[in-house]
Amino acid sequence: MAEKHKPAPMVDEVSEFEVLEIAVRELAIEKGLFTAEDHQHWTEYMHTLGPLPAARLVAKAWLDPEYKKLAVKDGVKASLEVGIDWVNSMPTKFGTPSDYCNLRVLEDTPKLKHVVVCTLCSCYPRPILGQSPEWYRTPNYRRRLVRWPRQVLAEFGLQLPEDVEVRVEDSNQKSRFIVLPVRPEGTEGWTEDQLAEIVTRDCLIGVAVPKPGKTANDPRPVRPAVNPYHHH
Amino acid sequence: MAEINPKFHELDEEMASRDLDHSPVELLEKIKQEGRVWDDLSEEYGVDNPDPPWRITLEATCDMLADGYWETFNICKPKEERNPEEESKKLDAVERRWEEDQLVNQHYAEVPFPERQLLALAHTLIRRGLINEDELARHMEEVDQRLNSA
Repeated sequence: MAEKHKPAPMVDEVSEFEVLEIAVRELAIEKGLFTAEDHQHWTEYMHTLGPLPAARLVAKAWLDPEYKKLAVKDGVKASLEVGIDWVNSMPTKFGTPSDYCNLRVLEDTPKLKHVVVCTLCSCYPRPILGQSPEWYRTPNYRRRLVRWPRQVLAEFGLQLPEDVEVRVEDSNQKSRFIVLPVRPEGTEGWTEDQLAEIVTRDCLIGVAVPKPGKTANDPRPVRPAVNPYHHH
Repeated sequence: MAEINPKFHELDEEMASRDLDHSPVELLEKIKQEGRVWDDLSEEYGVDNPDPPWRITLEATCDMLADGYWETFNICKPKEERNPEEESKKLDAVERRWEEDQLVNQHYAEVPFPERQLLALAHTLIRRGLINEDELARHMEEVDQRLNSA
């Protein structure tokens, strides 16, 4: 006998923000700032993106030393094996300029921890990691990480010993980055699927490290820019 | 030690020199006050999705406005490579992000994300004259009637 399924809950009211989003988009189309078709294609593509391919890339690299070498040497090529074609999977089918197609995979060691930021805006390797979290976009994170990386990581709950070097990589017009963290103890004999589950988005940005049993990102407080950066 | 990207300092000076209008936009102030944010709606209706369904379409709108269909990620293009005529119809992503940070700080700090991103985008578009506040208000009424006509 078929089981009875309760319908998934849904929001049964229209918010003013939803109306605003549609109105802004439709007016922009009406004014010829972009076309409805282009917007639709791009939206469909964006809906396919998320952090799983990057997690799988890390899991594969942990299991296969040759693949790890490839990932560190050529992140774009290594991405192909996890289903991400930085050139041809774009709706355009011919990729974008080189700035966008250069993914670098930053390999952590027991004495070196990488963490990624974009101090200019909020550049993020969306094709392989999906949408950036809110805190990554904030001026607070972007400005303070470069100045006090160890302290900011500690605020994220990542306390690093003094003998571990912290290296901040600033995304720019030439490169996007993901972190290849150290494989944690207690994962011996695990499959690629098991390993990929513990490589969370935050591990791939570098503000967390993988741990057996931890498969979700922690909620992060979003802090205002207490000392806003002004021109000088 | 890493430093803040020098381009940020250039951007900061460039944007500061434009003497942007910092005044609030009445329509957006009203939405800020009266609009129901996704955090509240999802809690009330027991929905798990942490983001409103329109978050991706908003992101896509920002990308589309930035530099056309095939250059959406080329957000740091040098000025000398830009076409001024085309530029006037576009909203550079780096500039938009700069303005978003400022507008959130000035007007929308208490609004959660991504609602604050949406308000900041609408604010920027109105301030730059790419859309008009009155026509946006009228179009919102039309959209509202359409969505609630079922």
